[in-house]
Amino acid sequence: MDDSTKRLLKRLMRRIPTQMLRETLDKWGRLTREQLRSMDYTQTKWALTEKLLAICEENELAMKHLTELEMLYIIDNPNQGMWYAFQLMDPEDDAQSLELTQFKEQFKSHLRELVRHVSIKIKKHTDDAVWIRIAWGDTFSRPNHLKPTYVVHYLQTPYVFVTSLTSKQKPLLSQALVLSTRCQAIKDANLNGRKLTAIRDLLMRKYQQVFPTKYPSHPPENNQTISNPHIEKEQAEPAANRLQMACEAFGGGMLPQLQSAVYKLETKFRDHSNKTMTEREEPFKCVVKFASTNLLESLRHCASSGIASTPVTPLLSCIPLKGRNYFVITDNGPGPSQTRQPQN
Amino acid sequence: MSLLKPFSKLPGLNSANVLLVESEEQFQQSLADALVEETAFTVNVRLAKSLPLPMENEESRPRIDLVVFIINLTSELSFQSAEASMKFLDPGYFLGKVCFMVTNARNAAVPIERLDAVRKLAASLHCPLLFAEDQTPDGVNNATERLLTILKVAAGLVPMATALYLSNLTRCTVPPDIDQPSFD
Repeated sequence: MDDSTKRLLKRLMRRIPTQMLRETLDKWGRLTREQLRSMDYTQTKWALTEKLLAICEENELAMKHLTELEMLYIIDNPNQGMWYAFQLMDPEDDAQSLELTQFKEQFKSHLRELVRHVSIKIKKHTDDAVWIRIAWGDTFSRPNHLKPTYVVHYLQTPYVFVTSLTSKQKPLLSQALVLSTRCQAIKDANLNGRKLTAIRDLLMRKYQQVFPTKYPSHPPENNQTISNPHIEKEQAEPAANRLQMACEAFGGGMLPQLQSAVYKLETKFRDHSNKTMTEREEPFKCVVKFASTNLLESLRHCASSGIASTPVTPLLSCIPLKGRNYFVITDNGPGPSQTRQPQN
Repeated sequence: MSLLKPFSKLPGLNSANVLLVESEEQFQQSLADALVEETAFTVNVRLAKSLPLPMENEESRPRIDLVVFIINLTSELSFQSAEASMKFLDPGYFLGKVCFMVTNARNAAVPIERLDAVRKLAASLHCPLLFAEDQTPDGVNNATERLLTILKVAAGLVPMATALYLSNLTRCTVPPDIDQPSFD
């Protein structure tokens, strides 16, 4: 095994926690039964790494086998690193009937045309997701397997999720994706998050939706703990209304875990008593960032407890509605000073 | 304006009704659960976020013997909501039938001015000011016991003691040098 392969193996061992190691190695299938049994998981990580190195040397495993192991681990634990969502635009007529094998061949050939040395691995997951691992090289150097890009695409949907992509690699990947999925363009969906499952569920609306009803039967979350007849809530109806409106805006039940929402404001100074500020040419820029372990849950609670006024302002409710968490808000041009709308 | 009036309804037999007003609607729930466990007499608890109370409940609402304003000192909104609710209480309540309960007084993040403001408010209205710890069951039980003492008198269940008499003994007072800067 050459140096770079050993380095990748050591890095993988650092990354995979010991609890997950056994099943990942089992799934990998490149070790014989005796070798698997000989791994003693009570030892230190360092000792395990040395043992695994020795076994891989014995089996004469190469870089491509190790990348399988990495991919297996990442597919089972996708909620790490920062994932960015992209959307494919304007599909051509035959884009709907795109099959997996066609997509694979096209993608590999297009990307290889653009980048001389690149290592691509494509795998289809059970839930219709296509996982692509790309190790980038250039005209003069071999692919760098220590910094791979992972791309997840759901065929028949326009959504692509990417992690660890540099700005230089972005146009190359975009072109390969656009050509192989038979769409006209790809654009940034302005959605990012640490958990792939969360941003995927948000975009594809895989969480409980609550729709406005004339006769709401019971609020979908937080079942009432008051069952004691001696305790009575005076303002139960307004509270139920607030809860209903909050759930309509954000959803009921468990919500996808977003970590932040960023609003970029560009505005002009409006107070006419201060001429110097009003006459400034450049707009004022301001960034407002909301951060939380589960942002949508926090916003829903703000609305249902009355801290945020209901009906929920469109600035907040467009996070789940449009599936984005990055907004640029500019003034409406020459017009009344209070109007502000989210662009795009 | 719909004022909550103290004596416009008849009292219930061997029972006491308390209204807990809290902007955040957290502590009032655990306090209510502990209050209804009293066995000597029936305690009915009404929970509200702020006053005024909705008109629809006017008929079914019993006579409220004690109104408790729960203020979370870490939140300015909590204090302002309680202050704003004062206008919707008939002045008759302030003769011993209102009590202030304050949580998180030991929290280092609380500005001293807020506690002073609550103190001044309670003192100007001649009401008792109780400090409660809401995070542990022990704290909730302690707060419940003290509240029940005041509630029993306010509901007229203690012979020879009236709410007005008790409030003279328990009302909050501010030290004369409250506006002087403290030595920190």
